[in-house]
Amino acid sequence: MADLRDEDVIAVQRGPKAGVARGTYRAFGETLRGLKTTLARVAEKPLTIQYPEEKTPVFPRFRGRHKLHKFEDSGLEKCVGCSLCAAACPADCIRVVAAENDPEDRVSAGERYAAVYEINMSRCIFCGYCEVACPFDAITMGHDYELSDLNRSDLIFTKEMLLAEPLERTPLRTEDE
Amino acid sequence: MPRPTEKTITFTIDGREVEAIEGAMLVDAARGGDIEIPVFCYEPKLGAPVGACRMCLVEIEGIPKLQTACSTPVRDGMVVNTGTERVKGAQQSVVEFLLVNHPLDCPVCDKGGECPLQDISFGWGRGNSRFIEPKRHFVKPLALSPLIAIDRERCILCYRGVRFSQEIAEDHQLVLLERGASTFVATFDGHPYVAPFSGNIVELCPVGALTSRAYRFRARPWDIEGSGSICSLCPAQCNVTFTVRDERVLRVLSRDHDGVDDGWLCDKGRFAYQATHSDERLTTPLVRDGEQLRPATWERALAVAAGISRHAGSAAALIGGETSNEEALLLSRLMRDGLDSYDIDSRSGGVLPLELLRSLANPALQATVPDLEFANTVLLLDADPVDDAPILDLRIRKGARRREMQVLVASGRPTALDARAAEAVRHAPGSGANIACALDAALSGDTQRSATLARDGGADPEAVVRLANLLREAGEDIVIVWGERLTDGPSGAAAAQALLRIADQLGLASRDGAGLLELSRGTNGRGLREVGALPNSAPGFGEPQREGRGWNEIATAAAAGQVTALWLLGSDPARDASNGEPWAKALASAGLVIAHASTLSPELGAHANVVFPAEAGAEREGTVTSPDGRIQRLRPAIGHGGQVMPTAAVIAAIADAVGFEPGFSTGSKATEAVAEAVGFYAGLTSDEIGGRGIRWQERDAASALPAGTAGETAAPPAAAASPNGSLRLGTYRSIWASPEVEISPALKFLSRSATVEISPEDAERIGIGNGQRVELGSNGSQLEAVAQLRSDVPEGSIFIESGLTSVGLSATEGELVEVTAK
Ligand code: SF4
Ligand code: SF4
Ligand code: SF4
Ligand code: SF4
Ligand code: FES
Repeated sequence: MADLRDEDVIAVQRGPKAGVARGTYRAFGETLRGLKTTLARVAEKPLTIQYPEEKTPVFPRFRGRHKLHKFEDSGLEKCVGCSLCAAACPADCIRVVAAENDPEDRVSAGERYAAVYEINMSRCIFCGYCEVACPFDAITMGHDYELSDLNRSDLIFTKEMLLAEPLERTPLRTEDE
Repeated sequence: MPRPTEKTITFTIDGREVEAIEGAMLVDAARGGDIEIPVFCYEPKLGAPVGACRMCLVEIEGIPKLQTACSTPVRDGMVVNTGTERVKGAQQSVVEFLLVNHPLDCPVCDKGGECPLQDISFGWGRGNSRFIEPKRHFVKPLALSPLIAIDRERCILCYRGVRFSQEIAEDHQLVLLERGASTFVATFDGHPYVAPFSGNIVELCPVGALTSRAYRFRARPWDIEGSGSICSLCPAQCNVTFTVRDERVLRVLSRDHDGVDDGWLCDKGRFAYQATHSDERLTTPLVRDGEQLRPATWERALAVAAGISRHAGSAAALIGGETSNEEALLLSRLMRDGLDSYDIDSRSGGVLPLELLRSLANPALQATVPDLEFANTVLLLDADPVDDAPILDLRIRKGARRREMQVLVASGRPTALDARAAEAVRHAPGSGANIACALDAALSGDTQRSATLARDGGADPEAVVRLANLLREAGEDIVIVWGERLTDGPSGAAAAQALLRIADQLGLASRDGAGLLELSRGTNGRGLREVGALPNSAPGFGEPQREGRGWNEIATAAAAGQVTALWLLGSDPARDASNGEPWAKALASAGLVIAHASTLSPELGAHANVVFPAEAGAEREGTVTSPDGRIQRLRPAIGHGGQVMPTAAVIAAIADAVGFEPGFSTGSKATEAVAEAVGFYAGLTSDEIGGRGIRWQERDAASALPAGTAGETAAPPAAAASPNGSLRLGTYRSIWASPEVEISPALKFLSRSATVEISPEDAERIGIGNGQRVELGSNGSQLEAVAQLRSDVPEGSIFIESGLTSVGLSATEGELVEVTAK
């Protein structure tokens, strides 16, 4: 400290000390101002939702857990394993490994199908780009947001999980809500 | 032939003054001004442009109509516009026309993501389609061959594949059938397009019409990584890029190198990567347990191999052709300095005197691979590039087609280039040395000696004289391509001397574009010699501390109990040697047989004590030296599969166990050690080699090569046996005779069984027909094979395929065998 030079020292400028009146206002006045907001809410009903028994409805375009789709008539998978969703995904969390269809025992309608289709939900940022990229509307964003799990690897959703009808646990918002 | 000189001119493109090489096509010249002109059919590798697709239309001032930039050479002062409304309109129309019949099924198309048609439609197309009529339809996808799928709906008729087949590979199989909108690519009668180079059309096709069946639907461009390395399956050492996804090689692409492969690959190099992930590949060490080889731990396997210390002084090593320079140096150090054993060889044909090896390595005498294209004349001496180093076949064809290069052939077995040759001399199998000597005599004017030698070698003396005359008038740049088999056996030295004298008489040393080019048997045949994997040479062709036994003597010594341990580094002598029988005996008598292999041949299975799993091409690291002295780097593309360990690490571990410290094992340290050991590689580092390799002859250190002399004149080669009712045996190793081909699912259909090529005359005399089973007999051994009648096989000779596990005939090239119908 001994060799501190003058230009190294910055003096702190303080305001004048508060007087009695100003001190009292500080102690009580400000507190009362805060209490005013609090007391004004006493009469209102609570807004808390009793999650998980009760759930907030989401907008129809809410982007939650993905779904893979099948054609309703033929039961074939819509996904042809083109990997375009994987290319569009900014989080790089989709993995598609394609394979060739056996014409006798088709999986999808095209020449190829997705032998492996995985989405790593722990990385997904729910941007919906995959849905936009898909040329066959094979993948869409669902409404489910309850995706937590105890194990990271369980968050890699496989094709079977994504194809299965998810438990629709999330209520949709109605028009007027 | 002097290479064309280049003159620079200036022209204007889109208002910019740009310099270009005179005569270059506008498409290429425009790149100098950072202007991209879209193309489909233009591919300079295919030769002169054909202007088939019209995608490259541009406006040239002074010419009323739009011109195709791919086939218009640039001239001084030319003014070109590529961005005017007229050009844009034309480009949009061309794209629209191309898409009229195109299915646009990109999501299921294998080209998607790396498709020029996608890119060009996006960049130069209209963006929407006015076409509502039905498109043309074909059955799809169809197999054009077991390796290639064709989708004719996607074809834009750019002619690229057809041009490759007609003008590059010259297999003349692919053609365009029908006319107009119904045109489609096919083979004439619909037979599968099977040819040594067929896979190149997949890489050439600008759309998804020709796709690889092995790569079908495996990955998209954004799923994969490319990793550059070298194909280690033959001496051509083509530059390749391995396509890797999830630590698996999925495809092999060419990594265009003018000085090596000219941008092509053969189908073995392109599809044999599958062996890497084949279930049949060995991936664990095996140790003999009584009668059986059983999987074992590395500790156990290394401990068994370390038992070689008990054989110090009587161990021998055979170094296989695919071994890298580093591995070979490491093993020969361990053998010589750690185990006091000097019996090391990498040449299966016999030992050549050190003096001759030095003379043949003389940088002034060395032709380069591009010389094959620019020479005035190429002479093939007992070599057939299509089997020995396939890609060079295309190089020679290119020279012959585009530059009217003269091709001359003198060989035992008919070659693929015979049809291109101005003169093709046939001699008795195994008598290449006689012809080399006869040619030398004929060149020096000694017609009489030449005639005797030629007759001894089973060749037509007049043809040899004609060959000599053609050579004398062949122009300044002559390249002699000779096969390693020329210097096989007792007459090897005589052949090498004749070769040197021929080179001297033709003045090859004084011309840059002329010289000799040896096609060795093994991928790294040249490198192995240069790092001293020979019984009579130290690294860098130095004087050896002590001379050891060569390949054939090792076999005899092992059978006699003088060599008690055999180390087979990537070599399977029963398979590699033309005469496998003595090796079967040698392996049976040796006390310890250490092998590195990726598949087990019956002989190894029966006799090896420990087998280490060999690395696959894409896993390897190290350097190899190409036939023209280019040192190239193998770089690992994937991690080791199964329990495989780097070969160098295995050798180092064994060295460690026997208490020898070689001072290096893997990585760039090892490359430095090679540079230090081989005088003329001095100072070489991995960085200097880089991705393109470097020819050591072009470095200053080349002067460190000890000068050689021709040595004492060797005795003239013995006369070939006269058939006299039996037939002379010739062997050849086809490009498909390799373990990789046998275990690659895609290539299996090409893997070979024992066949014997026989002339129709002999076949008729013996009474056999094409495809019939025959029995060959010699010295009490028998071999069953299928007869294949081939009209250009000379009467009196037969050729059997070597490099197969099942060949067990006890006879060498040129010996007589009996052929009987079965
Ligand atoms: S929503 Fe976005 S981040 Fe998630 S998978 Fe789709 S593209 Fe990827
Ligand atoms: S979900 Fe759609 S975009 Fe993704 S692979 Fe399947 S078809 Fe292609
Ligand atoms: S060739 Fe190209 S444009 Fe045509 S379907 Fe395939 S990817 Fe799409
Ligand atoms: S020519 Fe030889 S090096 Fe080239 S790809 Fe074929 S096998 Fe590999
Ligand atoms: S690239 Fe010029 S016509 Fe095809």
